[in-house]
Amino acid sequence: MEETNDTLCVGIDLGTSRSSISASNGERHVIDSYVGWPVDMVARKLVKKAVLVGRDALDNRSMLDLRRPLERGVVKEGSEKDHEAVQELVRYLISLVGIKPKGKNKPKVRAVVGVPAEAFRVSRQHLRSTIDGVADNLMMVSEPFAVAYGLEALLHALVIDIGAGTADFCVMQGHYPTEEDQKTLPNAGDSIDEQLMKLIRERHPDAQFSIHMIREWKEKHSFVGEPKDRIIVSVPIRGKATEIDITQEMRTACESILPPVCETLATLLMKVEPEYQDKVRNNVILAGGTSLIAGLPAAITKVLQELGGGRVSVVNDPVFAGSDGSLAIARDASPADWDKLSL
Amino acid sequence: MAGIDDTKAQLLRGVVQDNINVLRDVRVGRLERRKRRNGSWLWPGLIAAGLTSLVISWSVLPKTESPPVSAAPVQQGAASASDALEPALAETFFEPKPIDRGTIPLSIKTVVIDPGHGGDPGATSASGLTEKEITLDVALRLRRILQGAPFKVLLTRETDRFMSLDKRVNFANENKADLFLSIHVNWMEPHSIRALETYYVGPTDDPATLELASRENKDSGYSLSDYKKILEKIYVDVRRDESRALAYTISRRLYRSLKAHNPKLENRGVKTAPFVVLIGTQMPAILVEIACLSNEDEAELLTTENYRENIAMALAKGIRSYAHAFKVADRKAVH
Repeated sequence: MEETNDTLCVGIDLGTSRSSISASNGERHVIDSYVGWPVDMVARKLVKKAVLVGRDALDNRSMLDLRRPLERGVVKEGSEKDHEAVQELVRYLISLVGIKPKGKNKPKVRAVVGVPAEAFRVSRQHLRSTIDGVADNLMMVSEPFAVAYGLEALLHALVIDIGAGTADFCVMQGHYPTEEDQKTLPNAGDSIDEQLMKLIRERHPDAQFSIHMIREWKEKHSFVGEPKDRIIVSVPIRGKATEIDITQEMRTACESILPPVCETLATLLMKVEPEYQDKVRNNVILAGGTSLIAGLPAAITKVLQELGGGRVSVVNDPVFAGSDGSLAIARDASPADWDKLSL
Repeated sequence: MAGIDDTKAQLLRGVVQDNINVLRDVRVGRLERRKRRNGSWLWPGLIAAGLTSLVISWSVLPKTESPPVSAAPVQQGAASASDALEPALAETFFEPKPIDRGTIPLSIKTVVIDPGHGGDPGATSASGLTEKEITLDVALRLRRILQGAPFKVLLTRETDRFMSLDKRVNFANENKADLFLSIHVNWMEPHSIRALETYYVGPTDDPATLELASRENKDSGYSLSDYKKILEKIYVDVRRDESRALAYTISRRLYRSLKAHNPKLENRGVKTAPFVVLIGTQMPAILVEIACLSNEDEAELLTTENYRENIAMALAKGIRSYAHAFKVADRKAVH
């Protein structure tokens, strides 16, 4: 597409845990998907802002009504505050690439936003309404499709995008993926966190820790298979800082997503035309933050051995693979197509 | 490279078409609303109203497996009302869709107030104040305040007696209530919280709400997962939209009125949850947690007549405001 100074294309990966944006002006940013409002006037005075987004919100969480508004990649139902939070999140992401909402000579923003593969039509309508006013034109695509498009893995490839809220699968067969080609599982980063929290609590009932600590430990130490080192973390037990070994708990929690992921992979492979199954098995691509679990590609490759062998690779840049792919779509779409999709 | 470009072009056509379909559905929704309010709302409205009860009956039957047969005629009615939009509607003919409020020309004739608990104490403050006595007191006050309103007000219980949840639901349904309001008092950790919460029917993944729903549903005889399954099927129910509108009206009124007397009060807003009394009732229904008995200061406030009267007044204002909005919507539809 011909780009002009009065148009900015952006690709957004709106994630449960992290959201990223890639823009046609070369800017790329990733933020934690948190939005918070000061709980009272004292907090408002201390944080000096009406609303905080990303790490800023997380770091000041004790003073905020903190929201993580995207459940399974779509806007959580039931609370107006979560809708506002999504708007703030998208507005903030767009501001990071240099667009001020009411700035003079503001270019037209054409946004492609990634949503989970099986997001219901009503959820996408919902998201469209929520983003109304933040961008000028909007397209929504499935997250794994965006990844595949960005990597140009358009034929005989299977993308597994494992984020915090969902694991999204998409088989690329040279045409726009149908529902049959895609699948979403709730077994992803968050389910690992829950499992890890439960296991540690069972073994150390007096240990005090929060979900944020669990997430930090997982990001640093997650693995499947044999551990390279023991994982020792420090937690207060009855008020005293105490070191505990969570190696086994980490392994069990991380490996909990393997059976559903491998089962879904096998099911989707079976649906591929028999003559192409071998090619697809040898082009399995992992993306998303949770794909960074150490040993995950090897574990999936091992399962593929039972199906006749295959190759699993991890995208070079799991954090931006989705937003870069969305940006590629935004750039390739013609102005005429964009005109049909104004908000 | 040329091959890739062709493939990309084909993929992009798919992306654009898919998005146009989503956008068309959004626009169809907006146009349908406009068109019905302007005139030909009546007969599809009557069909929708008549069939809504069938949708609901289907929705609350856990063993029904096939999709609601009533969904198609509802769409059929809508399609006839918007001739220019036939192709778009044809695509979604069998999908259940939210039914517009304007299609149901009803007014509020009977309001059922449900004072939570009774017999069983419900939540109890450290000082011994019980949820059952607060909810009954507020409900009785509310009935008194609403005397003279253009609708009948009924209470599910008027004394301290146990009443199962299904009996409360049956009471509202048998009396053909047009609005159901269940009053409860919360218990939350940490005890520093003073919060208002307003619920209407819908699924939730929030562990705290699930726990609350388990507590309030404890004598239902069904498991929470049973209800969650049912709820996933009924979320397009017209009742849900009406319940949401009612919930927002009440939530705003309550918070606005009580904040002056209880400055640390927090409004946790409107949420969805699978409470039994919200699932089984066939009319717009909400459940309000009017205070937190876990907070000793708030429990102290609840011991004062003035504060309880304020709660009842705010609830009455909310109900009147919702009923008035309903009437206005009706008048607009008729004209």
